[in-house]
Amino acid sequence: MSRVIRTAVLIVLGAIWLIPVYLLLVNAAKSPDEFSTTEVWKPTDLSLFGNIAEAMELSGLGDSVLSTLVYAVVSPTLAVLVGAAAGFAIVALRLRHGFAWFVAIFGGTVFPLQMILLPMFDAYSRTGLFDTRLGMVMVYTAISIPFSAFVMRNFFTGIAHSVFEAAVLEGATTWRIFTRVYLPMASSALVAVFILQATFIWNDFLLGLVLSQSDTVRPIVTSLAGMQSTYGGAQMSTVLAGGLLVSLPTVVLFLCTQKFFARGLALGQY
Amino acid sequence: MTSLKTPTAKTPGQRDPYRWSARGFVAPGVLGVAVLLYLPLLWTTFISFTEYNGLGDPEWVGIENYAEMLDDPEFLGSVLNTLLWVVGTLLVPVGIGLGVALLTWKLPGGTWLRLPFLIPYAVSGIGVGVIWSFILTGDGALDQALAAFGIADTPRWLVDAPLNTVVMILATAWQGVGVNALLFTIGLQSIPKEPLEAARMDGANGVRLFRSILWPMLRPLTAVVVGLSIVASLKTFDIVQGMTKGGPGRASETLALTMYKETFVNSDYGLGSAIAVFLTIVTLAAAILYLRQQLSSKHEV
Repeated sequence: MSRVIRTAVLIVLGAIWLIPVYLLLVNAAKSPDEFSTTEVWKPTDLSLFGNIAEAMELSGLGDSVLSTLVYAVVSPTLAVLVGAAAGFAIVALRLRHGFAWFVAIFGGTVFPLQMILLPMFDAYSRTGLFDTRLGMVMVYTAISIPFSAFVMRNFFTGIAHSVFEAAVLEGATTWRIFTRVYLPMASSALVAVFILQATFIWNDFLLGLVLSQSDTVRPIVTSLAGMQSTYGGAQMSTVLAGGLLVSLPTVVLFLCTQKFFARGLALGQY
Repeated sequence: MTSLKTPTAKTPGQRDPYRWSARGFVAPGVLGVAVLLYLPLLWTTFISFTEYNGLGDPEWVGIENYAEMLDDPEFLGSVLNTLLWVVGTLLVPVGIGLGVALLTWKLPGGTWLRLPFLIPYAVSGIGVGVIWSFILTGDGALDQALAAFGIADTPRWLVDAPLNTVVMILATAWQGVGVNALLFTIGLQSIPKEPLEAARMDGANGVRLFRSILWPMLRPLTAVVVGLSIVASLKTFDIVQGMTKGGPGRASETLALTMYKETFVNSDYGLGSAIAVFLTIVTLAAAILYLRQQLSSKHEV
């Protein structure tokens, strides 16, 4: 196909893809007074920031922002370090039956989340972890560990064992070798996995729905869902502004780190 | 990979100086996964054989929950919807993703032309639901656009089943095309130059080039994308919960939704757990089939 036709097809298709984005931006920017459900294609005014502020008030979206930020930063950080430590033990320290342990850790990702929802809810309710930030961080960390361990083990397999031996000859302890030699070498893989996991956690809905309740603990996407089912009609522009607010961080992060992101996905697959 | 003089080549009985250190490093991962993933998993499996509502003790009932599940026409509807999701997400987001990757391949400005498709990727399922509910609701953006073209008698997009599942699959496609295009692009970029040029010399172009060179070279990557798509679509929850809540009635429920409702709305923990186990078995079967295909085609990508 000629270049012109290909470009034309892509431009048309791309324009179709941008229509929902256009509708979101235009209607999220309408003040509730101007918003009309019959004229959604026309831009009318620019009260986007007013609407975002309003959305923060409704359904506790504002309270959720901080907690979600904590989940999306702390959990992937812990998971990446724990995964790297496991990979280090298996590859560099040649843990006995290392491969079996690796399979055991990675196996945790094979099952759908539905298998852990009820017991987590039950156990969290009994131990007082239900509706706490600690509880949320714990579960997000746990579900992120298998993938991190998988990628980090694969990454460390590519590092010659002589690197480890050289460090031993210099008298370094295993902890020092891990933190000063292996982790720095793996920084690009660590970042790739972190970005991937942070995005998934930010976008989580189901765990937040089952394991939290209050505005201050609920992750932001779960709060958005609550807001969507509670408000409509003239408040629709506020709901859309909320949707925009919730989506913007991950969209920007993803677009800025496409290469890292794709690399994280690719690292997980091969 | 292994250096020549490896002093750690172990013979049985020889002491490994890093034994405890290795255990220490692997312990947090093993413990975290064991306590927070495997233990709950076993508990769910156990509960699926009991009658339990969170109060008192679970009461053993054997396979009663499974029998009840398979007898329920709503459950079968949910299985069919889930199947529709699996097939639909394979055809639409994966298919269009491949198309976009092929169209932008070696095209000047291809990166920019791919951008519109990448924007929605990192939007959450609920976010996609918020946008598309707004578009598809009765007299919403889509109906207004169609009315402008003189089409007034539009279907009720989110109400009529199975149309509602189809439009939700299209909304998911809006989100998922970009990442598939990105993965296929990486695959295309890693195809070696020589066979391509040889084929071009022979006059292969367009469809012939695709069938003779590109498709076989992309096969391993396609297996990955297809496998991921199947496993993810089996677990479809967020977007359906966000757009129709499984309704009207239970017409657009997927397995993940049915599990959620039975467990957390009806407090029928036994039945909910049985559905979770069923979903897991189906997912595992799909994953194993996919892995076997992966292992049988050992190409480097």
